Amino acid sequence: MRWFRFAVLILLATVLQASFFGNLNIKPDLLLILLVFFAIYCNTTEAIITSFTIGFAADLIGHTMGPQMISFGLFGTALAYLHQVIALRKMPYQALVIFITAILAGSMVYFLNSLKGEPTPPNIYAALFGIALYSAIVGPFLFLPSAWWMRIKISRFSRR
Amino acid sequence: MLFTWFMLAGFIFLFSPGNLTNKFQFAFHRIFRWPLSIGRNISLSAGTRQPLRDKDMLSRDEYKRFQNHLANIILQRNDAQQMVQKLSKMRIIPGWERMGFVPADVITVPIDELRSELFINRGQDDGLTKEQFVLADNSVIGTIADVDARTARVRLFTDPAANTAVRIANSKYLMQGIGDNLAKVSMVKQKVKVGSEVMASKKPGFLDMPMIIGKVAQCKLNAQPLLWDITVEPVCDIQKAENVVVIVMNPPD
Repeated sequence: MRWFRFAVLILLATVLQASFFGNLNIKPDLLLILLVFFAIYCNTTEAIITSFTIGFAADLIGHTMGPQMISFGLFGTALAYLHQVIALRKMPYQALVIFITAILAGSMVYFLNSLKGEPTPPNIYAALFGIALYSAIVGPFLFLPSAWWMRIKISRFSRR
Repeated sequence: MLFTWFMLAGFIFLFSPGNLTNKFQFAFHRIFRWPLSIGRNISLSAGTRQPLRDKDMLSRDEYKRFQNHLANIILQRNDAQQMVQKLSKMRIIPGWERMGFVPADVITVPIDELRSELFINRGQDDGLTKEQFVLADNSVIGTIADVDARTARVRLFTDPAANTAVRIANSKYLMQGIGDNLAKVSMVKQKVKVGSEVMASKKPGFLDMPMIIGKVAQCKLNAQPLLWDITVEPVCDIQKAENVVVIVMNPPD
């Protein structure tokens, strides 16, 4: 695992998510897409570290610190263990995983925010559905450039 | 074990006081201010802007700014006339003279259905504190929610966590943000014309005179009879705002 390249990729995704995509109502969640990517293509230990780190980066541009670190870490770890049992080679499966992870992680984030007394927005599920759908459509296409940058081979899959 | 330690760290962040954990977010916005601004400018330039056809014509942004300024001046004139009529014997200091204005640059503007905020490059070192009002194009857009030494987070009035006291047709109401760049005033006693001005109420120590905050976008009947629900939209394009002004009451000379 090339940690310097990982750090650069995450920083780039964080800055893009906060600035370029910040003005859009419905937008893909780049950090969530990267979460799924690393959960699928790294070993379990690396997947845990990357999941929590990506969650921390998401918290930096989020409303409060903590919720996304916990939810991304939890679902990234679960995804890494699940991938040992079920292969996720094909793009439709990857899109489905991104969609489900986005819905679940997003719901958990708002639940954790409510524990801190933050009000829940009225259109939360519509917004989450939009973000999840957009991320699921865009996400699998971002796996190749991410794999190229991280020097991870994804053409041949091997179970871990 | 690694998972447990990380989860513990996450929960520590979650339950730590906001003024401690916000330092990380402010530090990120301060350190990466330049790339964040570039990304936002690229995103904004991708939006359509009509070029001016004639040098004597005003741009839409300038027109909105002047319109908001006119609404504020008219209300101040009406308030001043009422004060004169009361024949007060106290010396009246015009509201504007008690206010200080701190200009600030916008770093990022995360606005979507779930939250409406913006980060500015001024903080406690510039005299900013929580709950101070923030203006853009001569209209109130929100209040300071969190502040550190050199950065501040502004909660826009359209944020679901925002509750703002407002005046509509000389009656006072509480306006709540509903996300998606909109706010709502529920159970208004009279029907209000679409396009009417919504003014932010005075708040001692923070805002000495009412100022325009939005305009009525929709007026629908409430579930209860004879009551109306009003949807309010901003009177300036907050997403395109590059500079804002923070009101600091009675600034030190």
